[in-house]
Amino acid sequence: MRSFAEYNPIAVTLYFILVTGVTMFVSDPIFTAVSFLGAVLFTLMRGGEGQLKRHIFSLILFFITALVNPLVSHNGVTVLFFINDNPITLEAVIYGCFNALMIVTVLYWFSAFSGIMDSDKLLYVFGAFSPKVALVLSMALRYIPLFSERQKRVRSAQTAVGLYKDGNVPDRVRGGVRVFSIMTTWALEKGIVTADSMSARGYGQGRRSRFTPFRFYFCDFLLIIISVIATAVSVWLTADHKFVFYPALQFPSVTVTNLLGYAAYGTLVLFPVINDLKEEIRWRYLRSKI
Amino acid sequence: MTVIKSKPLREIFKILIPFILIPFSVVIGAIISPERSYLYVSLAVTLLSLLLFISGFDRKQTGTRRMVISAVMTALCVIGRFIPVFKPITAITVITGVYIGGESGFLVGAVSAFISNFFSGQGPWTPFQMLGWGIIGLLSGMLSRPLKKNRWLIVTFGTVMGMLYSFIMDVWTVLWGGGFSAELYLAAIVTAIPHTVIYSVSNMIFLIILAKPFGEKLERIKLKYGI
Repeated sequence: MRSFAEYNPIAVTLYFILVTGVTMFVSDPIFTAVSFLGAVLFTLMRGGEGQLKRHIFSLILFFITALVNPLVSHNGVTVLFFINDNPITLEAVIYGCFNALMIVTVLYWFSAFSGIMDSDKLLYVFGAFSPKVALVLSMALRYIPLFSERQKRVRSAQTAVGLYKDGNVPDRVRGGVRVFSIMTTWALEKGIVTADSMSARGYGQGRRSRFTPFRFYFCDFLLIIISVIATAVSVWLTADHKFVFYPALQFPSVTVTNLLGYAAYGTLVLFPVINDLKEEIRWRYLRSKI
Repeated sequence: MTVIKSKPLREIFKILIPFILIPFSVVIGAIISPERSYLYVSLAVTLLSLLLFISGFDRKQTGTRRMVISAVMTALCVIGRFIPVFKPITAITVITGVYIGGESGFLVGAVSAFISNFFSGQGPWTPFQMLGWGIIGLLSGMLSRPLKKNRWLIVTFGTVMGMLYSFIMDVWTVLWGGGFSAELYLAAIVTAIPHTVIYSVSNMIFLIILAKPFGEKLERIKLKYGI
């Protein structure tokens, strides 16, 4: 068994698509709350820099989006108070909070996803769809640091021959444009050389083989199967359980079948946390025996 | 590694995606989430159109040189995004579309949106940005003949495209906030005015300064190496 980040990228991508898909499209506060819990726990567990900033940003975003809805939507029967003769209703406030929670949850999942998927994994997933687009993507990713490096070189060479000597704004702009222009010519010429070199080595002749550091293990299949079944079961079992926000709030009582559906989604959402926790405990245990 | 290995099967998929998958996913979306059907339908159609384009691109015989040039332009787009205020993605996408072709333009726009979102935050809006910039590239490729002739035409076109892009992204903002209404959309456009103005102006400046030299460079490369 491995930590969640080390699962096969295709399995991880599918997992994220299903989890965020349910959060985004199934309009049910219980799903949203469960998903929020899972996303935040997973983010906390992974740790890393910028955690605090991320949480503060989410909090601010939550309040802003939650505020917008009651200000523009005047549906609902329970009027709380009036602003400029426009009624602010309880229903709109609650719906706004619910929607804001959904947005924040999805953003947490996305940031967790980008944290896990490095460029190798992305290229692997893209390559499964389209080898050509994956190639363009991988070349562009390599060119970005290369061009920054070259830009520095061009800049210092141009400074040496007397560019930027005035130090005023038009001079700086002119210099920047000139450096960018030189860099572009250089990059395009070099690109042609790269392309010729690729052709000379047989690119485009027959099927392309490639190195992938990822394999499908049993637990990857397990993750895919769990994700698909849990999503299907949870959506199916809770289909008859509808929350109504407008015109008046209606929260129907939860039946046992519904509860099973929510439990299935809960298991799915907490899977990464449980998996990583288990690995952590096992690691501590093994180390304690040394 | 292609998941689907047999060629005829891939052909079938190419026909299947637009005619069956898109209506099918729209119907499913309407059943599963009636409250958020707008969001669902827009995201599903966007993703499937991107998939359709990618599968079409993959089947085509594209020259290696053209592909590498696309990668170079993509990298230039992403690097340009780090310059404060200046966001040249639209400008470079338009230039690529006009001088290299609509398909490369689409690719450059879509891939740069994807890559640059790794620096500025990935989210459910990524497919929309990819499709938005991709379509800008495709359109400029279609209109390349008149645009090439007149420098001011390309500047105007690029500026209008940049504004259009902002308006399309405002639609997404509203959908994302739950439900679509004209009132909300107007509010979104009004709040985004400073952003839109800065964006359009920087686009215009970029195109005025760089459309001609960039075009000359690309034309030269095309002439010299025969892309």
